[in-house]
Order: sequence, then C-alpha cells, then structure tokens
Amino acid sequence: MTMSEVAEVLQAEVLVKGDGLLRRVGHVMASDLMSDVLLVDEEDMLLLTSLASDQVLRTAQIVGAVGVVVVNGKPLPSSMVNVANDLHMTLATSRLSKYDACVAVHAARHPL
Amino acid sequence: MSAPGSQSPVAPDERPGLGESGNDPLVLLELIQRLKVRDVMTADLVTLPRDASMRQAQELMRQKKISGVPVEEKGRFFGLVSIDDIIRALVAGTIHESCGRHMTTKLVVLEDDMPLSFALRYFDRYHYGRFPVLNRDRRLVGIICQRDINRALLVELTRELQRLESVSVQRGGEGAAGSLYLLREFPICKYDFENAGKAANQIKQVLQEKKFATKVIRRIAVAAYELEINLCVHSDGGVLSWQVSSGRAEVIARDAGPGIEDVEWACRDGTSTANEWIRSLGFGAGMGLVNVRRVSDEFEITSKKGSGTTVKAVIYIEGGAA
Repeated sequence: MTMSEVAEVLQAEVLVKGDGLLRRVGHVMASDLMSDVLLVDEEDMLLLTSLASDQVLRTAQIVGAVGVVVVNGKPLPSSMVNVANDLHMTLATSRLSKYDACVAVHAARHPL
Repeated sequence: MSAPGSQSPVAPDERPGLGESGNDPLVLLELIQRLKVRDVMTADLVTLPRDASMRQAQELMRQKKISGVPVEEKGRFFGLVSIDDIIRALVAGTIHESCGRHMTTKLVVLEDDMPLSFALRYFDRYHYGRFPVLNRDRRLVGIICQRDINRALLVELTRELQRLESVSVQRGGEGAAGSLYLLREFPICKYDFENAGKAANQIKQVLQEKKFATKVIRRIAVAAYELEINLCVHSDGGVLSWQVSSGRAEVIARDAGPGIEDVEWACRDGTSTANEWIRSLGFGAGMGLVNVRRVSDEFEITSKKGSGTTVKAVIYIEGGAA
C-alpha cells in the first residue's frame, strides 16, 4: 500500500504531502516513545503516534520513515507543519485511536 | 531584586544582539553558550559597606575609574551606587549621607552559572552598563560589564582560531590522501526542545547529498540524534560535533556538566534520570546510550560527576561516499 492509500484507510487529513505520499508503506510502527522508534531498522515504515511534537517529525526523518500520522484527532502545533515542510515529511492526522488505526491498516492489507 | 531600577542605562541599540540574528558565525554561538557568566565577570571586586558615605563612593569610583560600586557586607549584597546615584546626591546635597540610604536597591542581577548568551540578552533588554553577579547562595561574587564580555570573547576567539588553524592543517593532510573530510560543530542548549534534533537532521541531509550508503547514513544519524537529545535532556548544554574522514565517521558529544556518577549504570537498558516532562515528550526511556552503542563500531564514554561528559561514536564507512 502507498502512504496515500493508508491515509485514506485511516480517514486521515493530509496536512503536508512531503516526499512520502506515493511511497510504499512496508511496516507500521505505533508508538509514543521516540526512543523505541529509533531502535527500528525498517526504511519503509509509517509512524502512528498520539504525540504531537516537532520531535516526532525529526525522529521520523532520522529513521527514514515514509510519513507520520498523529492519531486520536490531536490538535497539532503549527510548528509541526513547518517542520514537516522543512524535512519534506508526509504529515497527516486521523481521528482514529492508535489501536483502531493499526486494526484498520491491517484489515486493509489482509482483507477477510 | 528583579525589577529594573536606576542601574545606569546606556543608549539602546536597535541592531539585533549577538545570537539573535540567525546569521552569527557558529563559533560565536557556541562560545556564548559554553562560556558562563562566572568565566567572564570581574571577580576582584571593590565594594563598600552600607554605612560608607556617598562621598566615599564618589572618591572610590574616581580612584578606581569605575562607574558603579556594589554595596555588600560579608558577601551579602544590598545594592549598587551608580554615577546616577552620585549625581542625585550632589544635586540634593546628600553626598555626606550613607550609601545604604541612597544606593539603588531595585536591581536586575545575573547568576554566575548562567550562560553568557543569557547575559547578552539582559544587556540588550535592559540597556544597563553592568550587572551584579550572585551565586546560588545569593552571595555577591562579581560584576559584569560589556567590556568584560568583549575581552573574554576576544581571548576565546583567538584560542578557537588557533584550534581551527590546526584542524585546517590536518584537513590538508586528509585531502592529499584523497579522502572526503567533513567537519561541523553544533552548540546544543539545555531543554531547548524547539531545536533539539535539528543538528542530526542536518547531518543526515548532508550525508544524503554526498550519497553515502543508506544504512551508513541511518547509523550515523541515529547516533547523532540520540547524542543530541542526551545533551538537550541531561547536560547543562554542550557541543555535538561530527566528522567524516579516512573511511570512518565520528560523532562526538561533549558537555561541561553535570557529569554521570555511574557510567556503567547509565549505559544499561532502561536506566534514566529523565523526569516526567521529558518522558511526556517521548524521550528519557533510558535507551539513548544503548542505541548509540548499538549503531556504533566503536563507542567511548568518559564522565565524572561534577564535571563534564564526552561520548564518542565511530561508524566505519565501507566504500565511502558514492
């Protein structure tokens, strides 16, 4: 699935298209702990998080993530959009919870 | 003593202060973060007790060619007699009365362990010619004026220039050997989460432009990011530096405090001294140094409680840049 298709599954609003919208999402990581994100070695990873901070985007850039989706409909600080633009990082928000977002992506990749 | 009073303001300068324009040389920004007020201030003070007369203060200022005299007794700071205070006393005919009665007591003060950048902001904000400096016990330990800052910066810049010249010589050697040589330093401030991670992001972008292998870029970037966040979260501020030469990348984080009591403990999984606020930002899980070691081919850490910490991560670059 591409990042664009995942955003549709998550009913997400894409705030910054960045470089990732057409990239393939091979792995999804759901975490609010950036230290854990830095331990993952997958290059085609999508980060689902309920943490709305600039450091989420900086961490995502370091690990080469496809994009970041902030879940739970959390309001984002305006600085996040600026940082995402600077880093060319795809940034979206979804009203789904982290758990429901994981289930939705899994169901879309492995339909019953 | 926090509200500005008659502390002899100087004419305001509308130009941006050092470190505020975004265009200042990196070496200057690093210097004003690294130097503390105590490194720059005049510690050899000329003071008067409260019962000294304003005439004595005037005479002392004339003899020592200074524009203000702190009033203190046994280290306890009471106020400052400035030229303005002397003029007012002369006009009012109170020059024979005590300093304790006519000194300025509403003062803006600095603390000795503040970074020099903080002092510069105060000079810009309040337009005073000098600031008394207190230590953590609120004892008067010095006074700082812009002349002190100019002198300290000149000395430090000369040292930095000598260091850069020696680096330049090394660089020439590397170039002759045909190796790529990159070197950059980033000052990192304590709890500056607005900028934390920027240095590592820039390092990654440079490595991508130079077309290093993806896995190598990732390892260098992760090491730099973890060390940058560590400087921001755990140190009093420091410098992140990196260089690539002769088939290896070195990322070095060094700070001047507060130091680690038990280095072995700090390098274990899940051990951290981070507070709840840091954890709420997604860090402080105690994985930072562990992760730096994981991505490094060589890892060194030296630290001493009460002084600084230096962490060096080396990543071997097979094949170098494309």
